[in-house]
Amino acid sequence: MSWHNLLHNYHYIGAMLLFCIGLYTVIVRRNIIKKIIGLNIMETSVFFFLVSIGYLEQGVAPIHVGEAQASQMVNPLPQALILTGIVVAVSVTAVALSMVILLYQQYGTLDVDHLMREEVDEEKEKEEVEE
Amino acid sequence: MPAWHHFPIFMITVPLVCAVLLPMLGYFRSKWVPYAAAVPLGISTLLGLLMIGRIPSDGYLSYQLGGWAPPWGIEIRLDFMGYFLMMIVCSISLLALIASWRYISKEVTGGRLIAYYTLFLLLSGSMLGFVATGDIFNLFVFMEILAISSYALVAITGNRNAVRAAFKYLLMGAPSSIMVLLAIAFLYSVTGSLNMADLAGKIQLSEYTQILTVAYILLVVGFSVKAALFPLHMWLPDAHSIAPSPISAMLSGLVVEVAAFAIIRVTLSLFTTGAEGIIAGTVDVLSIAAAAAVLFGGIMAILQKDLKVMIAYSTISHIGYIFLGFTALTPEGVAGSMYHMLDHGLAKACIFLCAGCFIYVKGYRRIDQLKGAWQQMPFTCFAFALAVWSVIGLPPSAGFVSKWTLIVGNIEAGRELYVVILLVGAILAAVYCFRIIYYMFFQPGEEGAWENRVHDAPRSMLIPIWLLSIGTLVFGLTWFIVERLIEAAKFLL
Repeated sequence: MSWHNLLHNYHYIGAMLLFCIGLYTVIVRRNIIKKIIGLNIMETSVFFFLVSIGYLEQGVAPIHVGEAQASQMVNPLPQALILTGIVVAVSVTAVALSMVILLYQQYGTLDVDHLMREEVDEEKEKEEVEE
Repeated sequence: MPAWHHFPIFMITVPLVCAVLLPMLGYFRSKWVPYAAAVPLGISTLLGLLMIGRIPSDGYLSYQLGGWAPPWGIEIRLDFMGYFLMMIVCSISLLALIASWRYISKEVTGGRLIAYYTLFLLLSGSMLGFVATGDIFNLFVFMEILAISSYALVAITGNRNAVRAAFKYLLMGAPSSIMVLLAIAFLYSVTGSLNMADLAGKIQLSEYTQILTVAYILLVVGFSVKAALFPLHMWLPDAHSIAPSPISAMLSGLVVEVAAFAIIRVTLSLFTTGAEGIIAGTVDVLSIAAAAAVLFGGIMAILQKDLKVMIAYSTISHIGYIFLGFTALTPEGVAGSMYHMLDHGLAKACIFLCAGCFIYVKGYRRIDQLKGAWQQMPFTCFAFALAVWSVIGLPPSAGFVSKWTLIVGNIEAGRELYVVILLVGAILAAVYCFRIIYYMFFQPGEEGAWENRVHDAPRSMLIPIWLLSIGTLVFGLTWFIVERLIEAAKFLL
């Protein structure tokens, strides 16, 4: 693969950059809402990648009417996949956000470090009670 | 087309459709919901039993959904290994569901109870679909149904620790699903196909080996998080120990195995024929991680005080066994992995349900609280002992058969070091299991711990537990299944 090819397919670079930004956000950010936003960026990057595979310059919708040539049609399959993918992404986000609500109600914080520190504290408390 | 060709699709769709119908029933007759939820799983199990002996070990059943021929339509491709795992999934989930009738009504009530059974059916239906499908995007969709329902089931009680464990699971599970989707996008971009059989042929001819390598690594990493392979296991001890016990049994006995089966499937049916160069390095890394998992899981299990956390670490160790088997890439190794899924599913589900019994009857979670337990709860304790026998892998149990096959497979591949690790893992298992047996049977109960004479667990929990533990003994004698699995693996390799 030469550099020329890579530059020609610049949208792949964009998709991979988005993916890395999303992954970075999920791993590094401490706020759990930001982590969920990062998840969504990751998902969007994959959708973007899939759509760009099916893209054709000056392509037409893949409906067979009259003169339309099969070679000019946009590949419809990635779009169908993405519709399913979006549904999946929405439901994951919904579950995650509902958990965030529960976590905020019960811990009063959205900070991951704080949540994990509470875990340690609870274990210590348990041991103290036992002693 | 004979009628039994339609059975696999009904095994998948009946639980999924009934899961959607269940809330409606719950609106009118909420007391019927627990019993109604067992019906679709019973139907699936029955259909599965009717298919015994019909799937050849050197072939497969191909079912075209909606009559669209593959590679365009979605195909259900059921070979002997897939059928074997489908049977494990539907029978164990039926038993776990029956065991949760009494248990779960103590922990959740009202609308959450109906949600529990709905999610349970979604979980088992999606696992069946996940195993059977022959379309890689379909695999992703079923994996997401599986994942979302298991996040929700871990958090079903709604208390703070459960929600935190579930959120931890979600934060690791969701990026891994996206990695799988990205891998599917890569595969589609270089081959233009989503059907696994068609993909396998195109991968052989493809010249984009670098992209294929990246896709394979992404698939393996994505599924490994779901399977809790060693460096990616952090969510497992929390999620499996805090979830309600029947759900722990499902997660530990089935969900992690199904994810491991996805890796086996992707490796064997997509990449082994003609594309060994692509996977060689990744498979080596996988076997090292699996060996580390066996040792790490075993040692951590020894150190635990909480019974359910200990069982969860034992699961990490056993996932290591499953991975050590098929990474040998010999027929015996793959068959050993598959048989270990049966053994691990039966034994772990049984042990988690027993832990559930202790929690249900006395609320005891710690191991040292179980001293002298057998005098009060003999049925639970003896079933526990039988299942533990299989976890260690002593004859005559299913664990012995699977470990024997795993060791034979690894010797054939010339991997003596891993054989040693398998044996060390068995010793570690003996240490952490016999400690509990010692407490249960040979130590007097603590003062006041069992004072008011308690009754053993209710019958609806004891019957599934005993069926599972007797299963570990029965399948310790069925060597012919191993032979058929070896034939099926030879057909794939």
